[in-house]
Amino acid sequence: MRSITLRIAALALCCLLCVADWAQAQSANAPPDLNGAWGQYRGGRGADPKLAPTPASPIVLKPEYAKAYEARRAAEAEATRRGEPIANPSVLCVPYGVPSMMAVAVYPIEIIQTPKQVTIVAEAFSEVRRIYLDRPQSKIDDVPPGYYGRSVGHWESGALVVDTIGIKESVQYQRVPHSDQMRISERIRLVAPDILHDQITIEDPVTLEKPITYTLAYRRMPNYEMVEFVCDNNREYVDEQGVVRLKLRDR
Amino acid sequence: MSVARRIRICWLAMAWALAGAGALMAHHSFAMFDQSKTLTLTGAVTSFEWTNPHAYIEVDVPEEKGVKHWSIELGSPSILQQSGWKFSDLKRGYKVTLRINPLRSGQPGGFLIQATLPDGRTLGNGPGRGPAAGQ
Repeated sequence: MRSITLRIAALALCCLLCVADWAQAQSANAPPDLNGAWGQYRGGRGADPKLAPTPASPIVLKPEYAKAYEARRAAEAEATRRGEPIANPSVLCVPYGVPSMMAVAVYPIEIIQTPKQVTIVAEAFSEVRRIYLDRPQSKIDDVPPGYYGRSVGHWESGALVVDTIGIKESVQYQRVPHSDQMRISERIRLVAPDILHDQITIEDPVTLEKPITYTLAYRRMPNYEMVEFVCDNNREYVDEQGVVRLKLRDR
Repeated sequence: MSVARRIRICWLAMAWALAGAGALMAHHSFAMFDQSKTLTLTGAVTSFEWTNPHAYIEVDVPEEKGVKHWSIELGSPSILQQSGWKFSDLKRGYKVTLRINPLRSGQPGGFLIQATLPDGRTLGNGPGRGPAAGQ
């Protein structure tokens, strides 16, 4: 009788140890908690430079696209010097889309994380992108072009690895032309308990000679409540010359 | 450090952030405002619009002959609240003093640098999220 009791106790202990090991393994593999609001992090004096964002790599377009791009950038710079800035789509409150929505001026983003989906809400223009974690990516030709395209992701050693396709050609990063073959890859990961990096790579076999890469940095904003942003009082308009003007009121 | 100098540094910092980082986007260029000129307007608020993409102060400014109406652009509510503003800070009839960068076109419009409210508070206009300039 005593022998059976001892055996049962040993078995129970063994089971407990197994469960503890499994729980520990699960904890080690568990994705980090990214839920909440995140503000742009710029580093600054005294900050660890490894935590700061990195500038974009040089934009190297295929020769057939480079000339027109350079000419347009020069015209934009000259117009700005004249005080007559050329409009971009956001002047008309058109959303930025992926990837530009990830860093609009000083506006925060909010991450909502579930086992099957990570949702990112940008405060500026209330943009929303959804990253599916439980399904494969589609073929590029099967995704209707849009502002946010189709994003799928998975966790890899604590990093959320995201693949995005299906961005419409008018939705451009820094007004760089792209084709329907553009692919955006991201590695979103904590580099410190409250500092998040989004390492972005833009590839396009049609327009880009080299991928564009840059890293955005965010700081956790634990108590921040996202501010609504509905663009219902846009007084900027674009005149016949494509110049941004401001509507004024009489009273 | 003077308020004007702080504002200039703020503008330069924003310009650096937008140009240097190469990844940030802004709603629009501020080049339509003449950042080399500063005007001070004192008048009565006709409306304070806490709206996106920008808030506006509409203000009647007395002149030698009559009143001139000005439309003054601010940052967005999100940016303003980080600079200490509340949606209820201004109401119709409040007397305010506004330092602005005027429109290059010469029309009666501008971009706020700093507002002095009837209760004596001075509030800035971002574009950073730190304390308002002048506080």
